[in-house]
Amino acid sequence: MDNKKRLKICLAASGGGHLTELMKLSDCWKGHDTFFVTTVPLVKDDLQATGNIYVVGECNRQHPILVLKVFLKCVKIAFKERPDVVISTGAAAGCMICFLAKIFGARIIWIDSITNIARISLSGRMVKQIADLFLVQWPELAVKYKGVEYIGAVI
Amino acid sequence: MIFLTVGTQFPFDRLVKAVDDILGEGLIHEEIFGQIGTSSYEPRNFKSVNFLEKREFDIHLKKASGLIGHAGMGTIEMALYNNKPLLVMPRLSRYREVVHDHQLEIARRFEELGHVLVAYQKEDLAIKIMDLRHFIPRRRETQVAEVVQRISFYLHHMSGDNVNMDFKKIQ
Repeated sequence: MDNKKRLKICLAASGGGHLTELMKLSDCWKGHDTFFVTTVPLVKDDLQATGNIYVVGECNRQHPILVLKVFLKCVKIAFKERPDVVISTGAAAGCMICFLAKIFGARIIWIDSITNIARISLSGRMVKQIADLFLVQWPELAVKYKGVEYIGAVI
Repeated sequence: MIFLTVGTQFPFDRLVKAVDDILGEGLIHEEIFGQIGTSSYEPRNFKSVNFLEKREFDIHLKKASGLIGHAGMGTIEMALYNNKPLLVMPRLSRYREVVHDHQLEIARRFEELGHVLVAYQKEDLAIKIMDLRHFIPRRRETQVAEVVQRISFYLHHMSGDNVNMDFKKIQ
């Protein structure tokens, strides 16, 4: 770990379970510069991050206007921050930031949420196309899908 | 005391009302206290509040002999971490409580693994609340350290040109 280059890491997770899962991995980004992208202001206090915290709001496919609003916020963030890496557990906002940061050359690490048992989440299936490291939390998913790894569950 | 918590983000009237009804019908005699969040149904047969400050929430959690909640990972993790028996009722897309039926899937799997009790419908609730008294949740084994190691390994090699090295071969 000696001459390790400091990376700028974007941590992206929707409020609730996604964020809980991401925070379990906090030892990963020690010694790197980080910033958060999340969906609800409530969780702000829980994030002991040194970097910026962006709250982009909740959205899902049922509400296309909200999706667009969140997307535009994510565009701004990706453009301004230009992370080297995105680590995300989902969901929609995490997916958007992955695609946008990828345009600016970021590496994408996706950990699909434990709640996806029978198949990978919709966001995950999209991000899988561009992910550099894609982890699932159930062994059967690693059998079912190519290019994904099962190491274990974080929650 | 059984602590009913439905999260603070979305209402879960179906669960709050079901618990209220079975208390009203005298099917169970447990004392119940609820944090019902943004649910609009007002329970008549047990004490409840909309929101609790974290400190107060923790006091109720500690005092509780068991928990009732939705099948969200936040609730499940909290119960397992605090070693509290938990009865979940999954939010369902059929009632427009969620977009996907993830909660149903996770409830089924975690029930199989012995981590939680599940009431799939209102009719199961009374008997499951009685079961909660004797339910000892199975401890969950996680692999946080291994996953952290995998990601750290990737990040560590990002600065070099051997990014696509096979982790398993290195181990």
